[in-house]
Parts: sequence; structure tokens; C-alpha cells
Amino acid sequence: MSAAVDQTPRQGLLFKRKRPTTGDALIATLMLAVVVASAFPLVWMVLSSFKTAAESMQVPPVWVPRSPSFEAYEKVAGVLNVGRSIWNSMVIATVTTAGILLTSLMAGYAFAKYRFRGRNLLFSILIATMFLPPIVTLIPLYRIVGSLGLNASLAGVIVPNLANAFGIFLMHQFIAGVPDDLIDAARMDGASEMRILFGIVAPNVAPAIAALALFAFVYHWNSYLWPLTVLQGAGDQYPIVISLSRLLSYNRGAMNTNLVMAGATLAVLPPLVLFVFLQRFFVDSIVGSGVKG
Amino acid sequence: MTRSYSGSVWAMLTPAVALIGVFILLPMALTLWLSLQHWSTQTGFQTARFVGLDNFFEIFGPTSVGRDFKGAFINTAIYTVLSIALILPLSVGLGLLVQQRHVAGGNVLRTVLFSTYMVPMIAVALVWSKLYSPTEGPFNQMLGWIGIGPQPWLSSPDTALVSIVFLNVWQQVGYFTVLAIAGLTQIPQSLYEAARIDGANAFQQFYAITLPLLRRMLLFSAVIAIINAVQVFEPVALITQGGPVGSTNVLTYHIRRVGIERAQGGLGSAMAVMLMLSLIVVIFALFALARRKDDE
Repeated sequence: MSAAVDQTPRQGLLFKRKRPTTGDALIATLMLAVVVASAFPLVWMVLSSFKTAAESMQVPPVWVPRSPSFEAYEKVAGVLNVGRSIWNSMVIATVTTAGILLTSLMAGYAFAKYRFRGRNLLFSILIATMFLPPIVTLIPLYRIVGSLGLNASLAGVIVPNLANAFGIFLMHQFIAGVPDDLIDAARMDGASEMRILFGIVAPNVAPAIAALALFAFVYHWNSYLWPLTVLQGAGDQYPIVISLSRLLSYNRGAMNTNLVMAGATLAVLPPLVLFVFLQRFFVDSIVGSGVKG
Repeated sequence: MTRSYSGSVWAMLTPAVALIGVFILLPMALTLWLSLQHWSTQTGFQTARFVGLDNFFEIFGPTSVGRDFKGAFINTAIYTVLSIALILPLSVGLGLLVQQRHVAGGNVLRTVLFSTYMVPMIAVALVWSKLYSPTEGPFNQMLGWIGIGPQPWLSSPDTALVSIVFLNVWQQVGYFTVLAIAGLTQIPQSLYEAARIDGANAFQQFYAITLPLLRRMLLFSAVIAIINAVQVFEPVALITQGGPVGSTNVLTYHIRRVGIERAQGGLGSAMAVMLMLSLIVVIFALFALARRKDDE
């Protein structure tokens, strides 16, 4: 960001600070309203997870639990195999992310730094798949994965997602900015292409790699449609987001809201914690995918 | 300097190309082929029997298969249009709110907005189904405070689809706000300074500078929002199961039910092809519209 961009608004800020105007008050009110509207469902989720069953069903609703209890969490742990589900989610998200990083770095490097016949065509075809909603390929994919013997297994969830166009595109965008001289100098020194990629190119695009890693992890932690389709009936393989839906059907008779909220809180925590600490990388990757394209 | 490294090229490209080929491009081609076949998803591809355009006649025909598909198609279209009509203006407005320098706290606002995008859709659906609850849900209680009677939300065919749109907008708007901010930061401040010297007020600056220069970003956002909207699945699968009376039966849910649960692979594929074609038409129309505006 250039100095010129920052200067004018900063002057405005200093000036306004001395004498807050009604406009400022309006903006502040609007900001507060948006923050409240945005945070409310999550705050309500966490508060409700500490209610007792009776309290969570009360009419009119109780907002803050009067005697906060872990009753709901204990019950959820009994109904779902929470530890196993979270482990499954971890395996799915981690292994998929590692695969995406590897394949995206390699392909992104090839597209950014090699000249070869059909490069533009191949790149266009791969990038076009970025705009393909997964439902379009779901039916044959289910069958393909089945005939590979991977249905009802974590491998079936993971393997089809080990490469994607978004990753290749993002890596290409950033690797294109790495100076060719740097790569050529390494080649003169006799470094292999793999060594150049992981020793020189990758460290130069580390923030983009972090961004892609976080995005892939959260996306695959949260993903529902494909695991639901592949893991039909394989309860011990369910990731936490699928186990949650079992909670709802268990719950349908009694409708204990506090159970659902405790389960949801457990599923939300890992991606949310990652985000709060590493949000800069998420923002970078969105900006990198949108603006530079 | 970039040279040809023919051996390395394939070493670098094979993993990604093979995976995307087998798990995206091949299924894509199979979807097209299966849409012309009678085929049960439970059996191998070799059992498919060519039936020409029969599947398409059926999904557009007068039978219950046709009625359900057309209903799902229309629901998805309404859902998509409503989502975009809410998300795009909101993302620009919220982007401006984050970017303004009069009151501090823009970054906090962005963090809170974007954090909702990290919440798994399944958890969003569960939490909102309770927020919407007609009796013990806080939404109706809050409406009561300002003198509005309780709404049926998810339990009435008139309001269920819109209720799911709200839930979706809440979850996604932070992502599009970041996109809008990316567009806003690219607008040179000197344009605003020049406009101020010419005596343009804030609204004139917005319409003459901000909006026209955000057009490319808005086009990109619209395309992403469309692709996201047709994927809506969790709230429908979990809370409404397409109801009440089919009002939330959207394409992703319907195609999965027909193609996987009922194993009617040919019919499901024909529906997927129609979704694909509609997306291509809409996205090309958007780009054509944007290009015409660019020429003006």
C-alpha cells in the first residue's frame, strides 16, 4: 500500500478525533449493530450449550444460563463418539491439506515457470474446474470411488480431494512473482528442480502456502456432502460434522437444544480458533485469488 | 528466463493433472454420458443402457419426476437470486464500513464478520434452526419486543426458503466483504480528492467513482456467489428435508436424493447436466453484460 493511500484518511481521522460529529456517531452505531448481528448466533450457541435441558426448552427463551452446567457436553460425549469423530476430522483435514499443498506447489511452479506446448490450454481446463459445483460430478464420482474399493473409508473421503484448481491457481499467482534470476542461479549451481521448488521457490511464497493450508484445512474440516455420501453407514469413520447430524435425529423426540448446541460448539471450535490466530493469511488468500486474477 | 524442462514438466504436473483428471474431469464427462443412459448407481457403468434424450424428456415432463425437478430448479433459482441481491449490496456497504477512517474498529468489524465464514455450515444450520424455533427461539422473542407477531420461519412454505437465504447470507457475507475491501483498496485516492475539489458529496463520489470501479470485483463476487448458492445442502438435508411441501427442495439436495439415495443415476445425471448448462448460460450472460458496460 502506497503512502498516498494512507495519508488522506489519517488526516481525516486526526481532525475528526477532536470533534466527533453526528456522522461519526452514526457510523459507530452501525458498526456496533453489525458486530452484534454477526456474533449473536455464535454467542447464543455457546450460551445455550451450558444450559440444562429444561432451561434450553423454556418459553420465552432464557438468554444467559442461570446455573451453567456441563451436562450437555457430558451427554454429547455419551451419544456421539466425540473423540473418534474429531480424530477422523483431523485426519481428513490434515492429510487432504498436505496433499493439496504438495500437488498445488508442483503444478503451480510448472505453470508459472516452464514453457511447454499446450500450457495455456491445460491451465485453462484445470482452472475451469474451479467453477464446477461438486454436485455435478457427485453421482459418477461415488461410483468411481466405490469401484476403487474406497467407499466407507477415510481414504475415500481424502483421495479425490488431494488436488484442486484453486490451489494450483493460487500457487501460480504467487510463484509467477518469484524472480527468474533466482531460479536460474540455482540451476547454474546444479540444483535439481525439486530442490529449487522446495528450497527456493516455496520459502519465497510462504505466506501464500500458509493461506492455502488454512483454507484447505477449514474447508475440509467443514465439508459435509462428500463425506456423507462416501461414508454411508460407516459410523466409526464419521467426521464431527456428520456425527452432529446424528445428534439431531437422536434428539428428535426430546429436542434438547442444549445437546445440539454443545455438539455444534465442539465442531466450530477448531476452525474458529485457527482463524482468530491466523486471520491475516485467510484475508491474503482471498485478496490473492480475487484481485490479481 | 524460462526454458523448456520437458522431463521436469511432467514430474511436476502429473500428480495434480492425474488427480483432477480422474476425480473431476472424468466424472464430468461421465455425467454427460450417463445423462443419456438408463443406469442404476448401484451397478457398474457397463450396465448403462442408451436411451437418448429420454431422461431429459422425463425431467421436463408432466410426471412427478418432472414436477419435482422443475420445483427444485425454480427453488434454486429463487434462492440464488435472493442470496446475490442481499450479499452484493451488503458486502459493498460493509466493506465501506470496514474501510472508513472516521471511527476506529474497522479491523475488529472485519474479524467478526469473517469469522462466521469459518463456522461449518452444518453447525450454522443447527444453530439457526433453534434461533428460528417458533416458541423457544430468540428471533420471535426479539420481534415481539418491537411489536411484530411470531413468524413461522422454517415451518411455513411461504417463509422457509427465505429463512434459509438469511442463514446463508449471515454465513457468507464476511467472505464477500473481504473481496469488496480488496476492490476498494485498489481505487486511487486521488480520484476522490479530485472529486472533492469539484465539490462532489459522498453519495456522488460513491456513484461516480466507487461503484463503477468496483464493477470487476462485483462481477467476480456474483460468479462466486452463484456457484456457492447452487451448492446449498446442509440446512435442507438436516432441517427441512426439502419441505414444507417442497418449498426448500433445492437442486443439490434433489440431485443427490435421486442419483444416490434412489440410485437413479441416469435421471440424476440429466438433472446435473441441466444445472451445469444453466450455470454456463448465466455466467456467460454476466460476463457479456459486464463487457458491454466496459465498452460504454
